[in-house]
Parts: sequence; structure tokens; C-alpha cells
Amino acid sequence: IMYSLPLCHCLSAPLEPHFTECISREQETFRCWWSPGSYHNLSSPGALRVFYLKKDSPTSEWKECPEYIHSNRECFFDVNHTSVWIPYCMQLRGENVTYFNEDDCFTVENIVRPDPPVSLSWTLLNISPSGLSYDVMVNWEPPPSADVDAGWMRIEYEIQYRERNTTNWEALEMQPHTQQTIYGLHIGKDYEVHIRCRMVAFTKFGEFSDSIFIEVTEIPTKESTIPFTLVLVLGIVGILILIMLIVITQQHRLMMVLLPPVPAPKIKGIDSELLKKGKLDELNFILTGGGMGGLPTYAPDFYQDEPWVEFIEVDGEDGDSGEREDNRASDTQRLLGLPHPVSHHMNMGCSNAISFPDDDSGRASCYNPDLPEQDTLMLMATLLPGQPEEEEASFDVEERAPASSERSLVQAQTGGPQTWVNTDFYAQVSNVMPSGGVVLSPGQQLRIQESTSATEEETQKGKEDEDSKETEEQKQKELQFQLLVVDPEGSGYTTESNVRQISTPPSSGEGYQTIHPQPVETKPAATMEDNQSPYILPDSPQSQFFSPVADYTVVQELDSHHSLLLNPPPNQSPPPCLPQHPLKAPMPVGYITPDLLGNLSP
Amino acid sequence: MNMRSVWALLLWPSLLTVSMPLDCKEEQGSLSGCTSISQEKLLDRVIHHAELIYRVSEESCSLFEEMFLPFPLQLQSSQAGYACITKALPMPSSKSEIQQISDKWLLHSVLMLVQSWIEPLVYLQTTMDRYDHAPDMLLNKTKWVSDKLISLEQGVVVLIKKMLDEGMLATTYSEQGLFQSDVQPEMLESVMRDYTLLSCFKKDAHKMETFLKLLKCRQTDKYNCP
Repeated sequence: IMYSLPLCHCLSAPLEPHFTECISREQETFRCWWSPGSYHNLSSPGALRVFYLKKDSPTSEWKECPEYIHSNRECFFDVNHTSVWIPYCMQLRGENVTYFNEDDCFTVENIVRPDPPVSLSWTLLNISPSGLSYDVMVNWEPPPSADVDAGWMRIEYEIQYRERNTTNWEALEMQPHTQQTIYGLHIGKDYEVHIRCRMVAFTKFGEFSDSIFIEVTEIPTKESTIPFTLVLVLGIVGILILIMLIVITQQHRLMMVLLPPVPAPKIKGIDSELLKKGKLDELNFILTGGGMGGLPTYAPDFYQDEPWVEFIEVDGEDGDSGEREDNRASDTQRLLGLPHPVSHHMNMGCSNAISFPDDDSGRASCYNPDLPEQDTLMLMATLLPGQPEEEEASFDVEERAPASSERSLVQAQTGGPQTWVNTDFYAQVSNVMPSGGVVLSPGQQLRIQESTSATEEETQKGKEDEDSKETEEQKQKELQFQLLVVDPEGSGYTTESNVRQISTPPSSGEGYQTIHPQPVETKPAATMEDNQSPYILPDSPQSQFFSPVADYTVVQELDSHHSLLLNPPPNQSPPPCLPQHPLKAPMPVGYITPDLLGNLSP
Repeated sequence: MNMRSVWALLLWPSLLTVSMPLDCKEEQGSLSGCTSISQEKLLDRVIHHAELIYRVSEESCSLFEEMFLPFPLQLQSSQAGYACITKALPMPSSKSEIQQISDKWLLHSVLMLVQSWIEPLVYLQTTMDRYDHAPDMLLNKTKWVSDKLISLEQGVVVLIKKMLDEGMLATTYSEQGLFQSDVQPEMLESVMRDYTLLSCFKKDAHKMETFLKLLKCRQTDKYNCP
């Protein structure tokens, strides 16, 4: 509905006396101001009287203003005359005239304009990293006249600010708290701030408070940062110098830690140069003690001053090199960490075979002796070619060494006379059959179970090493087995096992032995002392033993019959100067390089 | 600014969904089960309710004014206070008067007010639905207020029980007669009547809010409070 202004009689018609405004500051009192309008003759005090109607009952009447303040043309209603939520209507009365306007009716809460807040202050919150703008927190107190604490009035505030000497104010969001943050003021500019308030959800604002001024000049922020960066840089430099010093002084240790030595083939007393191609003879000479006292005593200590070098030592620990009856396990045993008939060297695995100048190196490379025995045995059994007769590889584990009490005994009763147990990886070729087969003798650990395996176990258990050795040897005499091996003449070659003894080592007396398919009964009564490779002669129940048989030997040449000529075993033809390799053979004393082999083949 | 506050208000109802101990009613209609909430907290919630109700009613009123009230009639709006339905209720009307009445009476006054307005607001809702161009916002607001008033009543009842150890009160104050008897003959237009209703309710909502806040002041600090 369009509101059409009444014809403006403003100019011509006189303006009646009217009320200019009625305001309450704290909802407990209020005052009204009037104006005589254009009726100037009514401007004198008393010419106009104020009447009000308080509509709190149907029978209410007009009453006169309780308190005049003529100087202001003001009518003041004190606490006793002020009622909230009750409509008031105001009237101006002259002599005989009543000037009444409908819109001079109100309820007190609707005319409340709170006093402005007081005690304005500001604090600097922060400055942006660029140093161009900053934030400020403004605090103030509510108007003292407003009873905000009791909850009589609920007030919200509006902050306005502007740059000095500008005209437009920026207003922030209204909120009921007595503090507020102004963001994004610019450094170097002055700002003016003032606040006004009103009752929450009402429409009339109070007056603005007095202004406060915010001035933030350029703070020399760089100064505070310069020392900081200097300190930082100096600190870093110092730390770097410290690290360099540590590295330089502890170079050796750092090298140990950072670059642990790679186990390289370094044999104590042997120049690694010899291990290179083409110098085999020299190496062999050295290793076999050629002419000198023997390996350990002879060799210049090449690596003495390199503590981080690990040595694979040929084992001279107990110096009983003459004892073939060995406490050394066979190669395989050592590798597998199996217990072996060693009286006091029950060090399994690493600690027995290899010693290092440095304590904490190389252990990891050793075979873990904790593997269950049976796994290894199975492994061995599967690796080695089974007997032709044997359908399955069954194995026994027999308690040999007292130390390894954990060994469980698995007995496999087989029909066959032999079972493969605990065999070495390598077997000595003990005989070559006319048919071309090669007879191998099993390793020391081979337990060949006869039907009396059960009794053997019982007897074997808990025995001393020597005893068990003897029984073992006895049994081994009865050992018979065969391996089918490729005919050496036809093709290929046998394993380079140290084919020891077999035939008549002492009789030959030479530096070689021949492998012939000969009955082995002419075997020399070998001493029972045995080293790692007690190869059992298969055919003869009397299979002796032998001179300590090393697992390997060097094939020097082939004779006219295409037999392999091997090195004499060290104790067979014992030049006193021959070193008993402590290692006795599992260590490849000599090995054939491909070019040597070429020399050997006819 | 107005729109912003309107939008803000539309989200406020979600804040109040759980604020009133409505679960009290589930125990066979008796309110004896509502001992889980502390009296202080309950009073705070009731106050918060009343504040919101006032704010929404004020906005509904201004909306209504803008939409439906012709400008000349707006000048008469202040006169509508005389025709309020609750003017017959005995109420303190100034700070000094409030200072003289007890907590109990204060609470009962609030309850009286609340219960008086439940039905008229429902009536208002039905009439406004018949308007041709009533904006949804207005309708939603009035609906919201109507619902919240019921929650407020429940809260006040519980508060009375907690604070004054009184039993359940019968709703003695919501009388249809109160509503009908004060219809002014000259206000025949439904618009005017509705507007009067709205503005009267707004006034009474402010009254409720103030009463409750003063009550809270008394609870916390007896000596400086009216």
C-alpha cells in the first residue's frame, strides 16, 4: 500500500507542539522532550503541560508529568513512575488545546537507548610478518547505568573505526562481549575507534562513546630478527665444525661403523696376491708348509696392522695336529653345526671353525647351530644320492656327543641294511668298480644302522667320545654301500674329494694314490684316529681305517690310466716339515682352477 | 544485517533440540525422574530458550510489519499494547516491583505467561496459513516459536519443582476465555489482530526473559540483585 504523504502543510500550516523524543537509558527511568513547534508563544515554561496515560488497567487516567525540567523542555519519569511492558501515551496540553498524537505511545523497553560503553582501551595483538598490518584488541566496560550484571538488560555492542581524517566509518559485527579484535589495520596510519550499544534484539542504539586513537608506528622488527638469524647461523656453523672434528678424529671408528669390512678371502700369513690367478703353486706351497715351518709360523703377517680384517684361520687351536682322531668335525658338520664326536670342542658352528681377531665380526655369517638337527639331516639325506636299493631316505640320528643332548633319536627301521644318516656333503671315492661305478665312502657322521640300531642307540647314548668313536668305527667296518658314479673314464669326473687312502697308501709311498677298483682288504690297518673324513670302505667288513683321510686332496695329474693322482696325505708321508694343517682338509688345501684342469686332462 | 541474523536464527533451533529435559515426560507423565540435570544448568537452559524465543518473535513481528501492515497502521502499533491478552495477569512491571516479589512468585509469573500463550500461538499459526502471501520464513518462525514455547513450559514446570519443591502443577492458566475476551471490536481485520498478537507476544517474551534472568541473578548473588 503506497503511503501517500499528506499534502505537506508543513510550510504553511503551523507545526503543532509535539514530543521530539522519549528515551530511557536503563529501562528504569525515561524522559521525554517536547517542542512547541511553530507556536512560539507556547515556548515559555508552563505554557504547555505534559500528560501521560499509563495503560495498565482499563480505568487508567491521564496524569501530569511527575517531574518537569523546563530548561530542557523535558519531562522526567523516575523509577517510581516507570513501568516496563506497559504502554504509555503522551500528551501535550495547552490552555484549552490538547495536542495528541497516536505515535506518542510506547512501551518503555522499546525506547531504551543505552548509555555508551566506557573505559575503552586497546592492545596490540600482533604484527603481520610483512610488517605492514597489525591486529588490535579493543576492551571496554558496559555503561554503568545499565544493570547488565543482574540481567535486567542484555546489551550488544558495535565497534566502528576509521582512519583519522576520513569520513567513512567501518562497522564491525555486533556482539555482546566487552572486547573485540580489529584485524588488518595498517602500520603507520592512525585510527579512531568508538563504540555504541543497544539492547539485544531491539532497534534503538545509544550514543557513541568517546573515541580512542590507535597509533602503531613502524616497529623496528628487523632489529629483533637480525640477531636471531645471526645466532641461528652461528649455531649451525658451530655444529658443523663440531661434526667435522668428530669425523676427523674418529675416522677409524666411523669407518668401522659405516663401512664394515667385507669378508674377503684373507688367510693369515698369506698375501692375498697369491690368491689371484696364476699363483696357485706358490699358494699351495705356502699352505702345505713348503720348506718352512708351517703355515702359522711361517707367513709374514700381512695383515697385522689392519685390525678390521677378518681372518679365516686354519685352526691351530689345540696344536694336536697329530691327533687325527679328531676333534674336528668334518667340513659338513661344521657347516651344519652338527655335533660331532669331539671331546671338548663342542663349539658348534662358528666358534669352532673360525676365529677372528675381532670379536664381533662375522658371526652372522655362521650357520646357526640352533637349527633343528633333524632338518639338517633331512637336508643331507636329500642332497646325497640315495641308495639304489633304498626307496626312501630314512635316517637315524644318534646321539653322539654328550653335549648335544637335545638330539632326538628318530629311528627308522628300514629293511635295508643301510640308511643314510647324517652324511657329509662330500664323499670320498673309495673305489672304482670295473663297471664304471665309483664307490664312495660316507662321511664320518654316517650312521649306518643295522638291525641293531636300537641297541646301538642305547649304547651310544651318553658315551664318551672315544667310546662312541670306537663303536662307530666298528660298525663302519661293516658298512657297505655303493654309489653309482659316472665312469671317470667316460665322462665327467668325480668329486674332488680327498680320496684318501683306500688302497695301499703306505705301500705306495709315493706322492699319489691311485684309485682302483681294488678290494680294500689290503688296506693298511689304519689308525683309528680319524679326522674329518673317515671314509668307510664299503666292501670289506674289515674296512679299516685308515690313515686320517682328508676330505679333499689336490689332483696333481692324471696318470696314463686316467686315474687321478693325488697329493699324498699329510700324515702318510710325513715329512716333518709338512704342516699338519690344523684344518686338515675340509679346507680346500688345493683346488683346481679351470686352467689347471686343462693341464690335467690328457 | 537483518538477513544475516535471520539466517543465524534459522540455525539456532538445532541448538535447542536437546536442551530441554523432554525425557522427563516419558516416565508416565510424572516429572519425578528429572533429577539428572542440575538446577543451575536447567535454569540456564530455560533462560537460553527464552532469549531465543524473544529474538525470533521480534523478527517475526518486524517481518509481519513489513509484509502486511500498511504504513499508516504502523503508527498505531504501539497502541496495540493495550489490547494484549495477558494484560489482566498480575505482573510486576518495574525493577522495583520485581525486587519485592519472591522467587516463587517470579517463577509462577513466568509459567503463567508461557501457558497463556501456547494456544494463541497455535491459533496464529492457523490464521497465518490462510494468508495469501505469507512468506515461508515468517511461517517457519512462528511455528518454531510455537514449538519452543511448549518446551519452555516443560522446563519451567521442572524448574518449579526443583526450586520450589512443588508438585506438578495443573495448567490453570491457558484459558481460551482469556484469549477471546479481549478482542477489541474495532480490530476486525485479521491482519491487525494477528499483528497485535505478535507484538503482544513479543513483549511478553521479553518479560519472560527478564524475569528468568533476574531469577538467575538471585540464585547466584542474592545481595546485588533486584
